[in-house]
Amino acid sequence: MLKLTAVEAGYDLLQVLWGVDLHVEEGEFVAILGPNGAGKTTTLRSIAGFVPPIRGSITFRGTELRASLPHQASRLGIGYVSESLNLFPSMSVYENLLVGAYTIHDGAKVKATMDTVFELFPRLLERRDQLAGTLSGGERKMLAIGRGLMSSPSLLLVDEPSLGLAPMLTLDTYEALKTLRSRGMTILLVEQNVNTTLRMVDRAYVLEQGRVVLEGTGEQLLGNTHVQEAYLGI
Amino acid sequence: MATVIDKTTPSRDEAKAFARRRMIFAAVLVAIAILIPFVPPFTGQDYKRFLVTGALMAAYAVAFDFTAGYIDIVNFGFAAFVGLGAYTSGLLAVDLGISPWIGMFCGALVAAVVGLLTGMLTLRLRGIYAAVMAWFVGLALMGLVRTLPNITRGSLGLSTPQLLNTADNLPYYYIVLGMLFLTIGILMIVIHSRIGLAFRAIGQNLASAKASGINPTRFLVINFTLSCAFAGLLGGFYAHYYGILTPDLLATNHTVEVLAVAYIGGRGTLWGPAVIAFPLMVITGLLQAQLASMPGLELVLYGLLLIAVMIFRPAGFAGLVTAASNRIWKARTEAPDSAIPAS
Amino acid sequence: MTTTPATAPTNLRRVPLVKRFLTFTWLTIGLAALVLVGFAFVQPSIVVDTFVTGGMWALMAAGLALVFGVMNIPNFAHGEFFMIGSLVAYFVFTPINNAVYNDPSGTTLLKIFGPFPGMVIAALVGFAIGAVLEVILFRPLRRRSREQWVMNTFLLTAGISVVLVNGDELIFGNDFRGASRYWDVPPLQILGVSVSMDRAAVFVIAMVTILLFSLFLLRTRTGRAMRAVAQDEAGAQMAGISLNRIFVLTMGLSCGLAALAGASLLWLYPSSPTVGQQPLYLAWYVVILAGLGNVQGAIIGAFIVSLLQTVTVYYVGVDWVDVLPTLFIIVILLFKPSGLFGSEVKGVWEQ
Repeated sequence: MLKLTAVEAGYDLLQVLWGVDLHVEEGEFVAILGPNGAGKTTTLRSIAGFVPPIRGSITFRGTELRASLPHQASRLGIGYVSESLNLFPSMSVYENLLVGAYTIHDGAKVKATMDTVFELFPRLLERRDQLAGTLSGGERKMLAIGRGLMSSPSLLLVDEPSLGLAPMLTLDTYEALKTLRSRGMTILLVEQNVNTTLRMVDRAYVLEQGRVVLEGTGEQLLGNTHVQEAYLGI
Repeated sequence: MATVIDKTTPSRDEAKAFARRRMIFAAVLVAIAILIPFVPPFTGQDYKRFLVTGALMAAYAVAFDFTAGYIDIVNFGFAAFVGLGAYTSGLLAVDLGISPWIGMFCGALVAAVVGLLTGMLTLRLRGIYAAVMAWFVGLALMGLVRTLPNITRGSLGLSTPQLLNTADNLPYYYIVLGMLFLTIGILMIVIHSRIGLAFRAIGQNLASAKASGINPTRFLVINFTLSCAFAGLLGGFYAHYYGILTPDLLATNHTVEVLAVAYIGGRGTLWGPAVIAFPLMVITGLLQAQLASMPGLELVLYGLLLIAVMIFRPAGFAGLVTAASNRIWKARTEAPDSAIPAS
Repeated sequence: MTTTPATAPTNLRRVPLVKRFLTFTWLTIGLAALVLVGFAFVQPSIVVDTFVTGGMWALMAAGLALVFGVMNIPNFAHGEFFMIGSLVAYFVFTPINNAVYNDPSGTTLLKIFGPFPGMVIAALVGFAIGAVLEVILFRPLRRRSREQWVMNTFLLTAGISVVLVNGDELIFGNDFRGASRYWDVPPLQILGVSVSMDRAAVFVIAMVTILLFSLFLLRTRTGRAMRAVAQDEAGAQMAGISLNRIFVLTMGLSCGLAALAGASLLWLYPSSPTVGQQPLYLAWYVVILAGLGNVQGAIIGAFIVSLLQTVTVYYVGVDWVDVLPTLFIIVILLFKPSGLFGSEVKGVWEQ
C-alpha cells in the first residue's frame, strides 16, 4: 500500500533521512521506533507531503507522492496526526471535526463518520461545543486522531500519541488505535515507548541516524539483542 | 536575509584587500558625485536640479535605511519627520527671522524630540505594529499642520526664505551633497561602533539580543531618534531650497517613495540607497519633463521596481553590485571566494 | 459558545481571559454604546451618521482583518480597491443614469435598480484583481521565502499601492468622477432626522453584506476552511485544504469588499487616484484598534471609529477629523498594545 524507497529528506541545510526503505501493507499496524533525532517524525512528514524528499520515491497505492503537497497527500487518503496536533484552537470540537471532513461532500457520510469518531472517543461528544484550545492534553490528542479519521483515510499516520500524556490516557489512546486496526484501518505509528508498542503492532522498523537498521514483527524485535540493549534496558 | 554576512572568516590579507577595495570604490563614487555637475549634460540648470533632488533623496534614503535596514523597523511616518523639520525651520525663519542655517538644526532637534517620543511610544511593539504606529503619528502630524492654518498657513502653503541668494542650483547641490556625506559619515560611525553592533544584533535576532543582555528598546529608540534628527535636518534644507511648504510634504506617499529608493538600493547597506537615488531621481526628473502628458508614469515604474525587488532581489542594487564585484574579484585573483552571494 | 461543565479542569484557564476581556474591551464598547444612546436624545443625527459610515468602514476593515488573519498580509494597498470600486461604479452607473434622465417616463425599474449593477460589477472586479495579485505577486514571494513575511508583504503592498494610484492617474487623470446621488427620491425620516435614500441604502448594503460575510465564514465549508487556515495552516493542509486556493479566495473576497464599499460611497467620495487613502487609514485604525486579524472585532471597531469621527466633526470641527481619532487610538494602544480584542492575535508566520 505504502512503499518508501531510499528516501532522503531534510530541512534547508540539515539532511535527516539518508535512505529510508519501508513498506506498509493493507490492514497492517506498523510502528517506527528509534531514538530522538533518528528521523521518525521526518519520515512521517515526508509521507504527508510536508517535507518533500530530496531523493528516493514514496508510492502510495501505486501513485508517486514525491512532489505532492500536503493537501494532495490528504486527498489521496493519507490521514496524518502530527506530534503538535495542529488543531484549530478557536474552533469547537465539532467544527474541528467538520474541517477534517473538508474533502467529503456527502453530508450523510460526514455525519456517519462523526458518529463513529464519537463512539470511539465518547469524551469528544461531551466536549462537542467546547473550543479546542480549552481541551485537556488527552482530549486534544483524541480530537486530533478524530479529525484525522474524518476524511476517511485508508492510511493513518500517527506521531507519538503518548507524548506528554499520563500513562492512563496513553493506554486509552492505544486502545483506540487497536480498535481502529481491528476495523481494518492501516496505521503507521511513530513511538518512543518501545515495549508497549512492540506488543501492540504487527511489524516495526527501527530507525537510527536516518536509516532503517532493523525490521521485523513485534515479537522478533522484542527478542532482538540490539533492541533489548538499546531500548528496553535489558 | 538582506544583510550580507561573511560566513567564512577571511584571512587578514583578504580582509585588508577587501577593505582597500571598498575604499577605492567609495572614493570613485565620491569623486563622481563631486565632479558630475561639470560633465554635460549635467551642466544645465535642469540637470543640476535633478542632481539636487537626487542627493536629497539619497540622504533621505540613507536616514531611512538606518532604521529599516539595521533594526528592522520601517518608519512609515518618515515624511512627517522631514516635514516637521521643514516647518520648524521655515516658521522660525518667517516668524522670528532666524537664519535658515540655524533653523535647519533647530528643525533637526524638534524632529529628534518628536522622534524620541514616538520611539518610546511605539518601539515596545512588534514590527508591524511599530510601523503602523509610526504611520499614525505621521498622519496625526500632517493633520495638525493642516488644521492649524493660522500658524502653518495650512494648504495655502508657507513661503520660506531661500538659503542662498542665487538662482544657480550648483551651490545648493554642494550643500546637499555635504549633508549627504555628513549623514552617511555619522551613521557609518555609529554603525561601526559598539552601539551599531547592538543594532545589528537586534535587527537580526531580537530574542538572542535580549538574552545577551542588550536592552533592545533603548537601542531601538536611539536609532529611531537619530534617523528622525537627520530627517528633520534634511527637511530644513528642503524648506529653504524649494521656498514653499505644504502639508502634503508630510504625506505617506512621500515615505513610500523614500522606502522604495531605500529597498531598491539594498537595505542595510546605507551606500546602496545613496547611490541608486541619483539615477532614479534623474530619470524621474527627465520623465516628468519629457512626458508631462503622462503624469505618474515615473511612480508606476518605481512601484513596479519595488515590487520586483521585494519578490526577486531582496538585497537590491547593493546586492547585485556585491555579487558582481565578488565574481570579478574571484576571477582576477583565483582565490577562494570568501564572500557570500547576494541572496 | 456554550459553557463547559463545571467539572472540566479546563475551566480554570478561561477565567482570567474573561476577566481581562471584561475590564477594558467591554468598558470601551459599553461607553461607546452609552454615548450613542445619549446622542439618540440630544443629537440623533450623530447616531445616524455613525451607523452609515460605520457600516462602510466595517466592510473595509473586515476585509483588511481577514487578509491579515488568513494570509498574514498587512495590506497597505487596501484603499486602492476602494478606489477601483468607485471607478468601476462610476463607469457603470453613469450611462444608466443618463438613460434615466433621457427617458424619465418608462424607466422606473432603472430608477430603483440602476445603482446595483455598478456595485456588483465593482465587487467582482475588485475580487478578480485581488485574486490575480495573489497569484502573480504574493505566491512567488511565498515560494521564495517566508522569512520576515509580514514586513516584506507590507512593503510589497506599498509598492502595489504606488502602482495602482499612479496607474489610475496615468490612465484616467486627476479628475474627480462621481455621481451627485444614486437615488433621486425625497429623504426618509429616521429618529426625526432626514436621511437621504443614498445614506439609508449604504447602511442596508453594509449590514446585509456583513451578515452574508459572517454567515459565509461561520457556516459554509469554504468559510470554515478559511478560518482553519488562519488558525493552523499545517492542520488545514492535513485536512486536505489547498492553501493556494484559500489564499486566492481570501484576497479576492477582501478586495471585493473594499471595492463594494468604494462603489456604494460613490456619491460621497467621487473617484480619483487618491480617494482610497482616507478609507485605507480608517480601516487601519479599526484593525489596529480591534487587534490585527480579528474580523469580528473589526466590525465592532468600525462603529467605534466612526463614532469618534462623527463626534469630532460635530463638536470640534471637520478639520480635526484626522487628528483627534488618531490621537485617541494612539492612547488606547498605549494601554492595550495588541488592540481591544487582540489577546488571541497570532501571526502564523511570525515568531
